[in-house]
Parts: sequence; structure tokens; C-alpha cells
Amino acid sequence: MLRVDVTVEVCGTAGDGTIAAGGLLNQAMSESGFSVLGFDSYPAEIRGFGRCVTRSRIGDRDISALEDTANVLISLDDSQSRARIPFLAPNAAVFFDSNPPTYIQEEDSLTSLLEPGTVLCGLPIADLATEASGSARGRNLTALGGFAGAFGLDPAPFRKVITRKFEAKGAQVLDANLRCFEAGYDFGREQLSDRVPEIFGPRNITEGPERVMLSGNLAIGRAAIDAGLKLYFGYPITPATPIMEYLAAKLPEQGGQVVQMEDEIASIAAVLGSYYAGSISMTATSGPGFALMTELIGLGVMAEIPAVILNAQRGGPSTGLPTKTEQSDLHAAVFGGPGDSPRIVIAPTNVEECYHFTMKSFRIAEKYQTPVIVLTDFFLDNRVENLPMPKAGEEEKAHDNLYPSESDKGNYKRYAATDSGISPRSIPGTEGFQYTATGLEHTEEGIPDYSADNHMLMSAKRHRKIQAALADLPAPEVISPDGALDVGVISWGSTFGSVLEAVHTAHEHGMKVGAMKITSLFPYHEDLIRAFMNRCDEILIPELNFGGQLADLIGRLHGKDVIRMNRATGVPIAPSLILKEIETLVMEGGK
Amino acid sequence: MAREHLVIVGNGPAADEAAPFLRKGVPDARITIIGREVVSYYRPDLLPDFVAGKIAEEDLWVNPLQFYKERDIKLRLGQNVVSVDFSKMELALEHKEVVRFDGMIIATGGKHRIPEPLARFRELVLTLKTVADAKVWIEKLTRVESVLVIGCDLTSVVFTKAILSLGKQVTFFFDPSSPHLFGRSESIREQLAHKMSDLGAEVVDCSKIAKLVQTREDLIEVTTEAGQFRAGAVGAFFGMVPDVKFLTGSGLHIERGILVDEYLQTNFKRIYAAGDCAQVYHPELCDYWVSIGYSNARELGRIAALNLAGEEVQTEAPLSSIFKIDGRPINTSWWMEA
Repeated sequence: MLRVDVTVEVCGTAGDGTIAAGGLLNQAMSESGFSVLGFDSYPAEIRGFGRCVTRSRIGDRDISALEDTANVLISLDDSQSRARIPFLAPNAAVFFDSNPPTYIQEEDSLTSLLEPGTVLCGLPIADLATEASGSARGRNLTALGGFAGAFGLDPAPFRKVITRKFEAKGAQVLDANLRCFEAGYDFGREQLSDRVPEIFGPRNITEGPERVMLSGNLAIGRAAIDAGLKLYFGYPITPATPIMEYLAAKLPEQGGQVVQMEDEIASIAAVLGSYYAGSISMTATSGPGFALMTELIGLGVMAEIPAVILNAQRGGPSTGLPTKTEQSDLHAAVFGGPGDSPRIVIAPTNVEECYHFTMKSFRIAEKYQTPVIVLTDFFLDNRVENLPMPKAGEEEKAHDNLYPSESDKGNYKRYAATDSGISPRSIPGTEGFQYTATGLEHTEEGIPDYSADNHMLMSAKRHRKIQAALADLPAPEVISPDGALDVGVISWGSTFGSVLEAVHTAHEHGMKVGAMKITSLFPYHEDLIRAFMNRCDEILIPELNFGGQLADLIGRLHGKDVIRMNRATGVPIAPSLILKEIETLVMEGGK
Repeated sequence: MAREHLVIVGNGPAADEAAPFLRKGVPDARITIIGREVVSYYRPDLLPDFVAGKIAEEDLWVNPLQFYKERDIKLRLGQNVVSVDFSKMELALEHKEVVRFDGMIIATGGKHRIPEPLARFRELVLTLKTVADAKVWIEKLTRVESVLVIGCDLTSVVFTKAILSLGKQVTFFFDPSSPHLFGRSESIREQLAHKMSDLGAEVVDCSKIAKLVQTREDLIEVTTEAGQFRAGAVGAFFGMVPDVKFLTGSGLHIERGILVDEYLQTNFKRIYAAGDCAQVYHPELCDYWVSIGYSNARELGRIAALNLAGEEVQTEAPLSSIFKIDGRPINTSWWMEA
């Protein structure tokens, strides 16, 4: 069990500095040596209204998921925070402004709705901020200070991260923000520390490599640059936009370019053109944009042109829930194309894998000459974890294009039906290795040909190639004791973090339970998945979609129906919910 | 139509007893308990045992939170009523929230009385009224070996026994001129002094304390007419005064406590007071009396709830619960707030 395991929410209206306060909290706790997993929730509208919530889980051991209840709520706007009350854990501590500018009626009050047992930590947030800095603008830092002081946290890391954030804005701004924090901290220490327990026990920060706060999107951007990305084509869309923003700032420093296209169709077209010409490129989008790319992904499959497409899933269909998380594009990624158009689909499960799988996608796309779709989701893209900065080895970075040999000159078959299905790929314009790339079915030489034999031959080649990629794709990972299991939990994407925690807890409770993480979604390691399933009496597949898309994909491998745990709530599945389901299945199995 | 809102201010024995009776009497009402402490209702009489380590913290709690939930009684804990406007039937909480109500039971109990000249040294003196106070004592007692107990109310006696059971040295300042409970009777005082001595406390007659000085973190020097004393901690136990200051200017009739008739109703309709904060008219005394003790408070809480719910129950405080000294019933509410 975690010795320190605290989930803190900061809630306010857009413009209150909620996201900034949550970010500073994450950084300060990371600096203090704690493990941190943070996730922001904000309205789809650009600015000016709407609820902003940051949620940070802080522990003294590694954390891989968010719980669905918070132990602490820091309210910057009580009218917004009232909606968070159902998500408070029993005996949660609530920090709120105890001296609002005007009297409020009971029906509009946060405190009137709190459950008995909630620990009220009122502090005059606006007054303290105004007294400290001459303005109430620093309320967010005063509230953060109140929290830190009440829980007895070391103020030094907070001062450090506040300095880091504001020093570029000048001494006056920095000083005002620091004073706002200090005012809250002193109040919390003196007035509120007897109400909440002290938080002890950060890890020894001198142990292990230095940790940085990294989001999934940032990890993807860094990986793309480390992989040698030259061109990024994209059209902004939540939650993928931060990748484009990051690359727009960093890629030119590496000699690359970011081009904002007129839409997603143009983006994927440009990626294919770039790769066709021999230049590494990528695009990132979300469900609606991914749908627009469908036809051109087919072109990539047919013409055997590499492409790296990142689909940051959000609630759908259509515009759907732009700022909510979901895992509902799996079928679209695997099957979403007319004709037989097999493609490679991989899905990281945490921020570190966002880095390594993005890196891998470039290599795989090039080696197997086909579009590779990296499926992330809103939660994975936007959450921040503190982890050692991921770094790819030279082997990971190596490019893997199969070039034609000199002996083929003049007799070059771009689409030679080899045993592996991989045909040598020349760079257009290379003398003696010219070929036609077309979306029409074609012969081994690239000449359009619609004959039955040829279509069978080339379809088989393209499928063979995709299946061959399994050798380079990450195998499923199993976390379980040896032998037969009562329940096996299979998961993909960000939901796996919750599964991992639930299964660890189940092990601590003595249950015979295992977890399998699947990151290669197409093709997938059928034999390994089936072997795991065969060890399990029941197979549980929790997913953030309504129908159970992974269950549809692999469920047939089990001897009996798999048990689906489908949630289309827009928020991550909490480990406690999965654990509850496991416990039910174990108990039912024992009857 | 909005549900009737009945508010109980306070979360001690009287309040806690009142709430379920109120629920029974007015099943459809919205019932809210507003308590200043952040913890739910506990047995204050067990605090000395908690300080002595004889019981665990969870043994203090009377009802689980589920008890209130099941009865649809809303608990607002850690919330402080700062004023009440009975003409508008509204109260204001410290955090500027306004709560409307249709009926109220005031059961705020008593607070420690720290008389002059000790009031000047308030910072150096500990009391024992709440769980928070008890936790301060528990923490303090890990660092000090001797305790000076000043005053002689009921709590001081029980507390002294508790401290002695921890193996601490106790000096018991017995104030012969004290006007409160034990100070009134020579024979009780002597019996008490013997009892304290037998238990191992050093009993000192002392009525004038000139000075308290903290010389070290764990040492306080006390200058008195009887000489100089040193102790790690000083506790003051001079009984309680009704905790009603927040009602000043509300129009409520208050003498020392809130004046109520034998039905516990105040001078405002549907506003009742019960427990240590109330001065209840008693026909036998022909005077008002202030209840002390756990059982009295609960009984008054029950009666207030029944009457707010529409019944007409008269208080029948047994004389045994009013302290008799030298055969005379004693009105225990003679002191004025410091």
C-alpha cells in the first residue's frame, strides 16, 4: 500500500489560474521527491467561462493511475467547486475562501453541500493575496500556499517552481507571486495544520536519475525530434494540438519545419508526399480529423508509403466531447478503411511509452512501408508524470528502409512480392529505380492491373507484410503469479495504469489475478494473448468506450465470452472500480 | 414548497440528543446541526481518559456519520455561527454564508472560564474542553514531567487523576477563595484536598497568582503568594461559562446564559436553548439555573426538540442534578464571563 497517496484537486473558473496552480503543485511535489500523476480538465470553449479542474495524485511510490475521488479540494470558485463534491473522498479536506467579498445564501454555498466529516479549511484567500501583493490576482498561489502550509509541506520546492515560472516576467511579478504563496502558507501552517495530517516521506531525491514533469504530448513531440523528424503537417485539434505547438517551437531548431495545413486531408496527403520523397514526417490529430484521413491512409496502404499518424482519442463520435477522454477509435484505427487495408496500430499506456512508441512508429513505418497509427487518448496526452527523461538508444533511432540493391537497377520491382511482403523501396528520382506509385491496384512493377490473380497476389503481400511486423512490435506484457488464475484483466492504452494498480491490490489481498497489457493492437500477438487467456477462468476487459472495442477484437480468442467493463464517461476508470469488478468475479467464481 | 428548516447550533450532548428527537417529531423538516469543532459529536466527559491513554480516539465518538445520514440530519462541522437575526430568521456563518431557518435550538454549551489574573497569561495556560485541547495535552505530556493544575472544578479532579496515572508530577493549586463549586464548601474542599494528596498530587492552597513566565519550552515558572513553582505545563480549570457571546445584540434575553422558560423557549417564538448555554427558570429555586453535566444537557436537548416539534414538555430537572452543598441547592451560574 502507498504510505502517501493523496489526490488533490484545484477547481476554479477559466481565468482563475486553476491550471497554473495545479501545474505548480505537480512540479513542487515532484521537486520534493514524490511521485506525481496530474491531469487537467477544462472546458472545450476557449476562454472566459467554464469549470477548470486539475487533479494530482501524489505518492511516495510509483503511480500509474488516477483515483476517482479526491482527498483535497482547493476551491478558487465555490460555484464551480460544488460540482466536485460528489468526487470527494470521505473526510476530504476542502480549502475555500472564508471571507468572500459578499454574503452568500446557503443555496449558493460550497460548505452547505459538503458531507459530514469533510474537513473545512477556510482561509481568507482574496484578503491574504491582496494584503500580500496589492491585488487578488495571486489568489491561486495563496490557496496553494494554504494547502502546503496546512499539510506541513516544505515550502522551498514551491518557492523554487514559482520562481521558475515567474522570473521571466520580472522581479515585481515574481515577488508578488511569492508573497501571495507565503501569506497562504503561513496562514495554513498556523491556523489549519491541526485539521489535517502532515504529509511525510518523499522519496530520497538523491536516489536514481533526475525526474522531470512530462506530459504524453510533450513526450511524443520529443520522441519525434529524437527520431529525426523533418516535417510535421497538421491541423489543430484537441487534444493533439500541444504536439504541434511543441514541434513548432522546437523543430526549426533542428532544421525541420512545421506546416499548418488547411485541414487533416491535406495534412496526411503532405505526410505521404514527404515520405514518398524520402523525408521523415508525421501528423497528429483526433477522431474527427482521423476520419477525414481515411481515404489517404488507404492510399498509403496501397502505394506502400510510410506514414506516422498520431490519433489522440477524445470522446466521440463527431465533435463529441473535445476535452474528455475515450478509447473509442480502436475500430476506426484498425478497420476504418475501405478495401482490405491492413495497417499497424500501436497504443502506449503511459508517458514513457508515448516517447518510445512514437520513436518506434517511425522505424516500423519505414521498415514495413505502411502507415502506422499511434493511438493515445486525452488522458494520456494531457496527464503529466514525473519520470526520468526518456531517451532513445541509437538502435531505436536507426532507420530501417530496405533499399533496392544495385543489381536490380533497370529491372526494379518496387512492389516485388517477397516472402516477408517487404519490397525494396527506392527514393523517387534515383536513376534506374523509378517507379509509379498509385492508389490503383498494381503489379509488382507498379503498373495498374485489376486482374484477379494480381489482386490476390498483392493483397496477400500487403497482409503478409503487416503480420511480419509482429516481430518488431512490442509483445503483450503479463503481470501475474504463475499458474491458473481466477481472473485475467486485459487492457490497452491509458486504462492499463488503472488495471495495474487494481491487480497489484488484488495480489495484496491474496487473489489469483493477472493483468495483460496489449500495446500492439494490429497486428496483435494472438498466440501470447490466447496463452494468457487459457490460464484464466474469466477474462475482464475494461475499456473507455461504450461497446468494448478491444473485447470485440480479441474476445474470440477466449474459450468463452469475455467480460466487458465498458465506460463512456469521459473520465479515466479508477483502479478501485476495476478492483471491485475483480473481487466480484473472484467471489462468483468461488461459489 | 420549501421544507421547513430547523437548525441546531452546537454539537455537544444537548444538540446531539435534540437532533434525532427533532427528526422524529418533524419527519419532513430539513434539520441541520452547525458545530464549531471539525469533528462530530463525542463524549466530552471521556476526554481525561483519552489524555491518559486509557481509551483510543475512536472510543470518544458517539455516533457514526451514517447515523446522521440515515436520519437525514445535515452536519455542518467546523462552521462557526457569528450572528443571528431573529427578525429575519437568518444566521450568518463566519465564512459569510447566510442560512435561513424556521426554528432553532441553541445548544452551544459552555466555554472555559479563565479568571483574572490568569487571563493575562492565557497563552501559557491549557484547558480541556475539546478533542483538540486533549490532543494538545497529549502532545505536551510527551515532553513534560510535571503539571500544575489551577482551580477546582469537576474536570480538574478527573484530569488530575488522569495525569497522575501517567506518572506525571501534579501540583494542585487549591484556591480557597474561589467562588465556584468546591470552593464554596469547607468540608468538600478538605475532602478533595485529602483525596488529591492520597493520589499523589501536591496540594497547595493558593488564591493569588502573580505571574507566569515561560523560561524554557518545557518549563513555566509560576509566582504566587505561596511561593514560586515550576511546571512543564499549566492547566486552568475554573468551570464553564455559557458560550453565547455570538448572540450579543440579537435581541435574545441573556443574563449569563440564554434565559428560557421551563419549556426551554427563549423570548423568541420557535427559538429554544438547551444545555450549558441556557439559564432555565426553575420554580423551586425561584431563579434561573444553568445545567451542568452530560446527562442534564442531553435531557434538556431532548425537551427542547420535543417542544420545537410542537409538544409542551416542561423541564423537570431533578434536584439531585443541581448540586447541593451543605444541604442547599446551588445555582451554579453565579460567575460572570471574564
